[in-house]
Amino acid sequence: MNPALGSARTAARADRARSRAGPDTAGYPVTVPDRFGETRDACETDGMDIVHRNNVTVTGNPRGRTVVLAHGFGCDQNMWRLTVPALAGEYRVVLFDHVGSGRSDPSAFSEDRYASLEGYAEDVAEICEALDLRDAVFVGHSVSAMIGVLAAGRVPERIGALVMVAPSPRYIDEDGYRGGFSVEDIDELLESLESNYLGWSAAMAPVIMGNAERPELGEELKNSFCATDPDMARVFARTTFLSDSRGDLGSVRVPTLVLECAQDAIAPREVGAFVHRAIPGSALVTLDATGHCPHLSAPEATNEAILDFLAVSR
Amino acid sequence: MMCRTGQRPDPHGAGGEQAPDAAFAALLEDSAEELYESAPCGYLSTLMDGTIAKINATLLGWLGREREAVVGRMRFADLLTVGGKLYHETHFAPLLRMQGEVSGIALEIRQADGARMPVLISSAVKYGDTGEPLLIRTTVFDARDRRAYEEELLRGRKAAEEAQRRAEADRARLQDALAVLQQSLLPDTLPPVPGVETAAYYHTASPDRLGGDFYDVFPVDGKRFAFFLGDVCGKGPEAAAVTSLTRYTLRAAAVHDPGPVSALSTLNKVLHERYTGSGDPRYCTAVFGTVEPHPTTGQAAVRLASGGHPPALVLRADGTAEFLPTPGGLLVGILPAADFVTATTVLSPGDTLLLYTDGLTEARTGRDRRGLYGDEALLAFAAGQAGKPPRDVVRALTELLRGFGDGLDDDTALLALGVPAPAPRQDRAR
Amino acid sequence: MSPLRITMRDAPGGPVLEIAGELDYASAPRLRDAVGGIALQPGRRLVLDLAGMEFCDSSGISTLLAARHHAHAAHADIALAAVPEHTLRVLRIVGLDQIFPLHPDSGSAARP
Repeated sequence: MNPALGSARTAARADRARSRAGPDTAGYPVTVPDRFGETRDACETDGMDIVHRNNVTVTGNPRGRTVVLAHGFGCDQNMWRLTVPALAGEYRVVLFDHVGSGRSDPSAFSEDRYASLEGYAEDVAEICEALDLRDAVFVGHSVSAMIGVLAAGRVPERIGALVMVAPSPRYIDEDGYRGGFSVEDIDELLESLESNYLGWSAAMAPVIMGNAERPELGEELKNSFCATDPDMARVFARTTFLSDSRGDLGSVRVPTLVLECAQDAIAPREVGAFVHRAIPGSALVTLDATGHCPHLSAPEATNEAILDFLAVSR
Repeated sequence: MMCRTGQRPDPHGAGGEQAPDAAFAALLEDSAEELYESAPCGYLSTLMDGTIAKINATLLGWLGREREAVVGRMRFADLLTVGGKLYHETHFAPLLRMQGEVSGIALEIRQADGARMPVLISSAVKYGDTGEPLLIRTTVFDARDRRAYEEELLRGRKAAEEAQRRAEADRARLQDALAVLQQSLLPDTLPPVPGVETAAYYHTASPDRLGGDFYDVFPVDGKRFAFFLGDVCGKGPEAAAVTSLTRYTLRAAAVHDPGPVSALSTLNKVLHERYTGSGDPRYCTAVFGTVEPHPTTGQAAVRLASGGHPPALVLRADGTAEFLPTPGGLLVGILPAADFVTATTVLSPGDTLLLYTDGLTEARTGRDRRGLYGDEALLAFAAGQAGKPPRDVVRALTELLRGFGDGLDDDTALLALGVPAPAPRQDRAR
Repeated sequence: MSPLRITMRDAPGGPVLEIAGELDYASAPRLRDAVGGIALQPGRRLVLDLAGMEFCDSSGISTLLAARHHAHAAHADIALAAVPEHTLRVLRIVGLDQIFPLHPDSGSAARP
């Protein structure tokens, strides 16, 4: 049995059990006892709506430094399932879903607010305030790496270090800068999102659940696992791939790790080098990994790089 | 057919079975290898990093590429359009990593000549004995027809959504326009009349809420207030147009002469002239009256005239009720000149004058349409309310109307004017 | 519910329309058309025999008025015969008992 797959399925099952356990199945995972047997009560009443909005989950060592893990475009906090176990022993781990993704509150979605990365950064700042974080480490994958840069500018006292996993400040080629894509390419991506409008939930859900013989479980999944509302996904895609955050990189004042993959079709190495150069004092680690999601394709190497950085960045 | 697994066809069969024998022999020669290569779908095996290790002839044919140019040289994502590649990296690959399999994803592959071909892709990870991922197996289905069909569906859906958006915007605009028109037909609120309490209720039977019944109360001079209530023949927007004309004609007429007969005569002339030549005669029934509170006695003098309208009811403080007859009054608007008759009464404290339209008395109460609520029942009901202030009387009648349910299929208007009874004496001793 | 039935016959003084069944919003246009189709000579009298009329609402009353218009436009006369009690009550309220000649039966109504 593949350990990665096994843990993924176990986690999915635990999610289901958890959401059925309490009277309020909408789920405030923050109230779930963590491995240290202590009930998390990170959010006071005024932060409760933020916690609900972003489906914030807190786990790990309550006495440890807080590490916030932010997913990128295309999935949700489930993407970190191979990272969380590596951090949880020493660090307090905060997970969340961006509004429009995963199990975030769909009623909180606003096309205006999320038409720019600032809207997402404001959400992150609000999460930090709701949990009253100090000097946290913000680990952002892909577009969330840039969201982390913006959020650190908003609440500098709360975010004390950045880990940027496969970051790209600009996906579109422009004036000698090579991001790797053209505007037409992004339109094609939007088409792909559209094409999978019909097939996505219905075909994916039973497979994801590992319960193809019980299609009714798919109902639960449609809203929970990496499946997104196509209209919201379109907005997130546009915001992600049409944004230009190159100018924000120079403002970073905290210890920063840039984590790139040796082979990444979305964030090629020259983009990683650009980010590294633009952020004063940043460290660059190139993982021997292929694809855009090293935390899934090369979890050990990714976790090791993050842990090494955490050890020296305090 | 006759062939069972592991059993050779009968070699001694008749000559007629020669053809099936040949087909069977061909089937046996179809090796797994040949099936793999020329299956009606594309097969692809890649390393975990996507590097293509094996690919079948069908897929190579679709791609228009040679095996040597692909195997070991290209990654799976390289076969996709750039947009598809983005989708692959952000959705497909992470899900495959997390779930071990992904199925039925719509993507486009890039052919060597630059053309695109819509496909449906399913992938599964093969694991080793110890659970480590070894490779990814992928099937590729030709989805050209299906995608064209889906695009039509999407186009149709978008068109329907757009049409619905427009229809909703139109509806909202019409609702706004309608609301303005509705307000022109009925007063928002009744003005305060010194020494007199008023209450009104309007039930509309038409879905667009444009009614054929009307009422109003307004001051005419320092001493008197005028009131009217009536019913235009017909229903819906056509009736509402007459309602509007009627309401403003009566208000204007009362400015010159608030006498009830004068006001109804003016209305009669206006409606007759307006509609008689039109080939679509329109007319109404109406009660028009004035109420003049006495400055010292607390009583109020009522003068009213009726044009073909059911008689008003007077509910007395002593618990009795009576019709106020207005015989001879003719439908307003059918003759060039019509006679209207004035009736008078005095409302003492605790008395209430009730005007209503025939939606009330003609509400169906029986199983067939001839079982109507009727005048006698209304009189008895009114007697039961006698002595109560106008708003209580109207509230009780509103409940009565609600109780008719489907039996109430016409517009119905109620207007009550009453002189408040003296407040019940309070024991002020402490 | 009994459907509206309209029968026409000729009497010495003019045409007689026998109206039976229910005269309401739905059926009134049929009576309106039937009356509109009658060619009336000046001085003749159109009689509407209502003996068999079971129901008449305000649309029905409007149609009676339209018939009166039609007759007067042709310089002819109009009369109602055998008006049922329920309709007579309505006619009285709206004052039409004063403008329609009313007769107990079509025989007396049609007499010139």
